[in-house]
Amino acid sequence: MNLEPVARPKSAEPWKKTTANARNLQIIASLVPSGVAAAAWLLGGMDLIVSILFVLLPLQLLAIGLVGLILKGKRGVPDAALVVMTFFFGTFVMVLLLSVLWSVVEAGFSALSPQFIFQNNVYVTPTTGLEIGGVGHAIIGTLLVVGLTTLITVPLGVATGVYLTETRGKSRGLIRVLLQAIAGLPSVVAGLFVYSMLIVTGVSAFAGWLGSMALVPLMLPTVARVTEESLRLVPQELRNGALGLGAPSWRAFLMVTLPAAKSGVVTAILLGVARVIGETAPLITTTFAAANTSFNILEGGLATMPTYIYNYISLGFDTSISRAWGAALVLLILVGVLFGSARYISRPKSLTPKKKKVKR
Amino acid sequence: MTTEQFQLETKDINVWFGERQVLKDVSLKFPTNRVTALIGPSGCGKSTFIRTLNRMHELIPSAGLAGSVLLDGQDIYDEAVDPSTVRLKVGMVFQKPNPFPTMSIKENVISGLKLSGRKSEISDDLVENSLQRASMWNESKDRLDEPALSLSGGQQQRLCIARSLAMNPEVLLMDEPCSALDPGSTRRIEETILELKESMSIVIVTHNMQQAQRVADKTAFFLAEDNQPGYVVEFGDTEQVFGMPVDPRTNDYVNGHFG
Amino acid sequence: MAQTPTDAPERRTLRVKPTTIEDKLFFGISTAAAYSSVVLLILILVFLGIRALPTFEEQGIIEFVFGSGWVAIEEPPTFSIGPMLWGSVLVAFIGVGLAVPMAISLAYFIEFMAPKRLARAATLLVDLLAAIPSVIIGLWGLTVFSPVGAHWGQMLHNALGFIPIFDNTAENFLRTPFIAGFVVAVMIVPIIASVTREIFSRIDDDLIKASVALGANRESTFRKVILPVSASGIVGGVLLGLGRALGETVAIFFVLNLIYDDVNWFNILEPEGGAIASLILAKFGEASETEISALLAAGVVLFILTLFINTIASFIVAKAQPWNNR
Repeated sequence: MNLEPVARPKSAEPWKKTTANARNLQIIASLVPSGVAAAAWLLGGMDLIVSILFVLLPLQLLAIGLVGLILKGKRGVPDAALVVMTFFFGTFVMVLLLSVLWSVVEAGFSALSPQFIFQNNVYVTPTTGLEIGGVGHAIIGTLLVVGLTTLITVPLGVATGVYLTETRGKSRGLIRVLLQAIAGLPSVVAGLFVYSMLIVTGVSAFAGWLGSMALVPLMLPTVARVTEESLRLVPQELRNGALGLGAPSWRAFLMVTLPAAKSGVVTAILLGVARVIGETAPLITTTFAAANTSFNILEGGLATMPTYIYNYISLGFDTSISRAWGAALVLLILVGVLFGSARYISRPKSLTPKKKKVKR
Repeated sequence: MTTEQFQLETKDINVWFGERQVLKDVSLKFPTNRVTALIGPSGCGKSTFIRTLNRMHELIPSAGLAGSVLLDGQDIYDEAVDPSTVRLKVGMVFQKPNPFPTMSIKENVISGLKLSGRKSEISDDLVENSLQRASMWNESKDRLDEPALSLSGGQQQRLCIARSLAMNPEVLLMDEPCSALDPGSTRRIEETILELKESMSIVIVTHNMQQAQRVADKTAFFLAEDNQPGYVVEFGDTEQVFGMPVDPRTNDYVNGHFG
Repeated sequence: MAQTPTDAPERRTLRVKPTTIEDKLFFGISTAAAYSSVVLLILILVFLGIRALPTFEEQGIIEFVFGSGWVAIEEPPTFSIGPMLWGSVLVAFIGVGLAVPMAISLAYFIEFMAPKRLARAATLLVDLLAAIPSVIIGLWGLTVFSPVGAHWGQMLHNALGFIPIFDNTAENFLRTPFIAGFVVAVMIVPIIASVTREIFSRIDDDLIKASVALGANRESTFRKVILPVSASGIVGGVLLGLGRALGETVAIFFVLNLIYDDVNWFNILEPEGGAIASLILAKFGEASETEISALLAAGVVLFILTLFINTIASFIVAKAQPWNNR
């Protein structure tokens, strides 16, 4: 018998062949409802959303259901309905979400320019055009405030993650529950907390570092949780190997476990930062935004990106709203970069050369 | 020799994953109400082959197939055939027991009927019958409403067999059903297989040659050389394949010269 | 039954305790850091509580939480968050009600229907959308969505206005709970979809193979196998989203009219509503000391509410999985 492999013929997927009949049915089933709905919308003057909801959807369900009935009998109908509804809901929500993204990009793009990114708003009134002023001071403010938060939260969060996975402490369950509770803290309450602890008591006036404090409880649970998960993923065999060689716990951790979880910990930090960089409410109750560029995080006014956006929306003028969009775009890019880096760093790396599927 | 009926038959089955061919020209006839074993070393395509018999193969991305599989004379890969109807007639038991975790023992047994919309066939008699045929009735009759996961591995596998039996299939495919189980459970399942063949045809993939000799009427020996597609070296009555193999390679394999 | 001899060897306790200084430091520092969460939570409860207490005393807890009216200028001032409390709940429920079917559909589509590359891109997109700051969504809600939402509200009213829910007496459909609900939904859909998709992807492939091998089609596999197995996780994700919806401040602030005297129970198309978090934001700028105390009291109530929901969420997720031996 000739055992040389033959090349895979084009028709090697018999399950994909549908009879011409079935295919035509499916095409008609999709086109007719769309056509009717489009006619109702364009020609009949029906509102778009109404025609989609009340013409396209029912007709499509009916049509695809019929096709299912014909092709697969009674059981084809719920199957078809599932496909249509999933598609409908999924598309609807994607349209809404993409609308958000698109609005930011479109409306913000016109505001974007080097001047916008670098200048501050000292000479800007609510109605000044976009050629003057920018978000430079707000960017610096955000970097300072979030930077301080990160400085405080990362050691606390990572060490908490270490406690939860590497030790056999008796309070581990308690700590996890508490982290959950803190994670549920509404952001405005976090701001009120710092306000009541440090401003009302007279320790300080509104200042940048108070904003950092308010962001800590918002960032801590994320960092701790993701760190814990990453450390948990490190196989016990690795730790055992180090300990078996006589290494003390702290060495085993620093030299074996942590490097193995390195990307996970970095991801934890990046995700934590992404979480707080756009928070508005805590900053409103703890800082006040100035129009000039300040590097003083301990006292005085300090603008941040979220408060900038918030303030300019509140002003209500067309020009100020445009400014808000511009700032929104910058903020979104920042978040996107953080997020993208986190994703990129934590991508699954192939440790072995790609294996072909095992023949059985 | 009595004239044999062949409930299931394959003609020139060739299988690819992507561009790589993994099975070549497999033509086998599975006699009705008999057990056929597929044996051979790891990686020669036995499990892939058995998956072409109930159209589970096409669920793997990059899967390709040429040739036909005839069930009662009809090609199951015909355009007009709905794959799920094929699976109603050709059941499958997997290597690792996989009862549905959110269901009780009883619910698992009837799950197939519920999933395929045959609710009118559900009855307590059917549950008892299926569990009896799978040799599970005594162990489960007092705990039908308990979670399926409370059973041991061997019991779970017999539950999966009962689940497939409730569908009253014409053919039952078994992909190394005992490899994850202990010898005691294995023995019980083999006894079950011998009883079941009176009402259906069974195809079983196994690594265990003694098992093949114990349960199978016919045996097919698969082989694949390095980077070559798998193929059937020899197919015949079990006694002959093991006792007086025609091909020297079969002889080597069944006598343990390679594994 | 035979008695075990009483001089059996004593069971020795094995404790792993750090011995060297470095190890002691290592474990000590981690423990201290972990306990910082305890300290933090205590601080929060204490400081908020102390400052909020005067208001609870003056207004009476029940009156504060369930009464209505917010007048700071009078002497004595009245502070009650009844309309706000219900408003938060109403908007959150509309949001969740809209978000859940959309999110599950999206997750199902990505995990089980889309081709691999589309699925990967969509996953990335959804996860990114979950990170969009709420102030940006508020901006979108205010400028882009409000006109559209108002239009839909108008049509709903025209068609179904006889049903009390869709009644409207104000002639305009902006800044209604209906719109706020949509905005909240947009905010939490990515969270729920992300969690659900993750759960779907972790379902044991064997279960789906078992279902398919029994002859099930797509819909019955989804209803009877996939959903039951994912149910508790999905509920957990939904409650997570709900918690976020309740605590949402800025986005709702821009798209909802706050009223303080009457509760808008279900007229979702009226431009009246409430939300505790937005109340705080609205009043904070010019609040007097007593008013600040009242705002802090409102914050405490909100925190307790979200705490409550999160606890239920963890409970549901943990409890409803006797099948999963983790």
